[in-house]
Amino acid sequence: MASIDPNDYQKRLDKLSSLLGDMVRHADEQAQSRCPYKNRHGECTAQFGCRNQRKNTQAGGLLLCAGDDQLDYRSAWEGIERPAQRPGQDGRGRILSGARSCVAQSRRTLFDAADVLDVAVPTSCYRTGSCHECIIEVKRGMEALNERTGEERFLRDDYRLACQAEVIDADIDIEFIPLNRTPRILTLSTGQPDEVAPLVERRHDKVYFEEDYIDDYRGRMLGIAVDLGTTTVAMELLDLETGQSVQVASFENPQRFGGSDVMNRISYDAQHPRELRQAIVKALNRQIARWCELYSIHRHCIYEIVIAGNSTMRDILFRFDVQGIGQRPYKSQVELEYLDGRRTHTALSEKTRRLGLRAHPKARVYGLPLIASHVGADAAADLCATRLDASSDAALLIDVGTNTEVVAIHNGRMVAASSPAGPAFEGGTVTYGMPGYEGAIERLRWNGAAWEYKTIGDLAPQGICGSGLVDLLAELRRHDLMSPKGAFAHRQKEIAVVPDRGITFSRLDASNLAQAKAANYCGQYIVLRALGLAPAQVKKLYLAGGFAHYVDAQAAIDIGFLAPVPIEHIEKIGNASLQGARDVLLSKNKRRQLEKLVGHIEHVELETTPDFFELFVDGCQFKPMPSVLS
Amino acid sequence: MAEIGDIANEFIRDEIDEFLERDDERKRNIEHFARTRLLMQDIAAALIDGAHETVDELTQQALGEGIEALEIMDDGLIAGMGIVGIKFRENFIFVPEVLACARAMKAGMAHIEPILSDSGIEPIGTVVMGTVKGDLHDIGKNLCIMMLRGAGFVVHDLGVDTSEDEFIAAIEEHGAKLLGMSALLTTTMPNMGKTIEAFIDEDLRDDIKIMVGGAPVTPEFAEDMGADGYGKDALACVELAKHLLSE
Repeated sequence: MASIDPNDYQKRLDKLSSLLGDMVRHADEQAQSRCPYKNRHGECTAQFGCRNQRKNTQAGGLLLCAGDDQLDYRSAWEGIERPAQRPGQDGRGRILSGARSCVAQSRRTLFDAADVLDVAVPTSCYRTGSCHECIIEVKRGMEALNERTGEERFLRDDYRLACQAEVIDADIDIEFIPLNRTPRILTLSTGQPDEVAPLVERRHDKVYFEEDYIDDYRGRMLGIAVDLGTTTVAMELLDLETGQSVQVASFENPQRFGGSDVMNRISYDAQHPRELRQAIVKALNRQIARWCELYSIHRHCIYEIVIAGNSTMRDILFRFDVQGIGQRPYKSQVELEYLDGRRTHTALSEKTRRLGLRAHPKARVYGLPLIASHVGADAAADLCATRLDASSDAALLIDVGTNTEVVAIHNGRMVAASSPAGPAFEGGTVTYGMPGYEGAIERLRWNGAAWEYKTIGDLAPQGICGSGLVDLLAELRRHDLMSPKGAFAHRQKEIAVVPDRGITFSRLDASNLAQAKAANYCGQYIVLRALGLAPAQVKKLYLAGGFAHYVDAQAAIDIGFLAPVPIEHIEKIGNASLQGARDVLLSKNKRRQLEKLVGHIEHVELETTPDFFELFVDGCQFKPMPSVLS
Repeated sequence: MAEIGDIANEFIRDEIDEFLERDDERKRNIEHFARTRLLMQDIAAALIDGAHETVDELTQQALGEGIEALEIMDDGLIAGMGIVGIKFRENFIFVPEVLACARAMKAGMAHIEPILSDSGIEPIGTVVMGTVKGDLHDIGKNLCIMMLRGAGFVVHDLGVDTSEDEFIAAIEEHGAKLLGMSALLTTTMPNMGKTIEAFIDEDLRDDIKIMVGGAPVTPEFAEDMGADGYGKDALACVELAKHLLSE
């Protein structure tokens, strides 16, 4: 082998160095405008996770780069250390969601599993963890998943982001549910509204909001009414010219990851500002986008959105600090400003744009006025829908929910209270409790030997919803299977409701329901007593909201969930809050009247009532409320 | 005057046809490849394609046939790299592809190095390079390695997510006098300092020079943590390496 002359060799090195030097300089230049990990096919060659990575539809292909090269791609790399692609491996465990299941694969995310299971999980960031929309609840198998990632810092308990939750132990069963299950929709359509005179008006070919010109007429004028519940959100799309309903939609409030009742949400909001608001704004926008697609309408045809919801829900959406609602004297910032004379009413009005809602850029969002403290815009909407204030007879309105509102009228005097019932009847804190979604047991009867049940949608039972729980408690009492204090007969610790599905009911479940029931009981008791009314004198009981519509009224009276009003006086009015929001959207008169009316309602605070504690203890027992309230 | 048809290798003909747009560059490359052996054209083609295994085989074959090492460098490796450079400059390919070509180049050079040492030509230095623990970014570091190798350094690449122990083991194994560390995250940058401390703990710090680089790293930070030098980019890296070894 011939030896090499060092000088000749050095010449080659110099040539190579100059060649490579040019390339490095070009690479530096290019790196200012293009991610250096992006190859010529637009694929990402990086060994680490990056927010710009997108799934390749070709199996086994590299991830695609979705960076637009205009932004500083470097920030998209920071802090994401999850390797982009690793092979998954089948394990012995299964991944379950609803009635479907598949084999667990290590190193695959639950989002991947949701794809396989065909379970819809929303996302708008291509599964990179930044949009926070793909929140899921892990029912079991949390220990089989990786630690929470940095993107999931805002989550706690059993909540994860589907795109971040990765299977590390594929031998354990994992069960999850997305937070976007569809509740049963309460559409008690009232048909043609009695008054169609919204604030948005067409004058020839121009669209006006009150006296302001906002747009040229586009052939359609639409508005949206929203009932923003703690557990469930209902939305109705309406034609502002005819007053006709286009469609009602309903979905689970995605804020559930921040706790299931308003107090938890308030404290969550202090720790993780913006998360709750973003979650609800995105969910509302998703429904708007769905409608736009479904009916081929442009979102610029939406000129007003009206929101009914309890004080906390409404004010989180409107970007207020809600901490004041969470502690004595339980007054929101808006209410305090109203009491100080800095506001003429407690209704809110904002541009949709400022709240991030997708509608016409000049469209408004109107938040119905609140009554006081936790008695919020949802109760105000109920008043509007029922016209309770016009009632000449003694009447009672109960809007049952995670927070139950009670308003009563007698001889023109109105009193309202809010009961922090909590989520026990809405699926929270009860082992096999669930909201009124498909597969929930809604009716239960004890035939002397076994439980007969009926589920929503006649599907295999997954749990028991509120009306089922009321039936269960009432039947247990009727057949002496449970004492008024909630102790089961024969010293049983647990009642097997559907043994083959493992659905049981425990002492602790009964105790949690007792407290939720007691809150409802106290609200009705104290409001009726304040007006000097006995339950039998109530000529009309409007029962609104959530599961109340499906509840067996006699069973509810038997266990003291409802005041013993003559049963024929009870009228179930479904989602009155949504109806109220709709009325206010369609009528400027009703809006102005309501703003004035709420100022004339007396508010009683349950906790400061001197005998509240005794009443609460009474209320915890599963027996009817007395016929005379003292 | 050579024609493109005079080039025997079809891949090279297509490359020149498709990617070389400037007349002088077309002419120069056609002239060059037209007079080189087919085996050299094959090596160049494999390098342009980033096929390091093919480059490895063909270089061995060429040396076995008695072809001069310098001819392989000129007509195979450097000639191929010349086309890669043009394609890169014209944005036909991007950094990941360039790095694949650099890896192919290294596969060929690996067979030439023994001949160099037989000829009494020693590498100008041996360097251990790696991205620090917790950090998976490697482009900048790989560009540095490409330049260092091009300049005649022997570089041992430890890749990404390199622990302190791995750095120490590699330095001892290869008897390297120079360590290069890279970090691209503000969160992983402090691991450079920790690695330096580990060298102090092992009583190895005085045996080596340490250079650092990466987007968030500044000269001040490099000095604070006790590095010997800071290179702002791959070009500076070569100069810095030469400088540190001459001290």
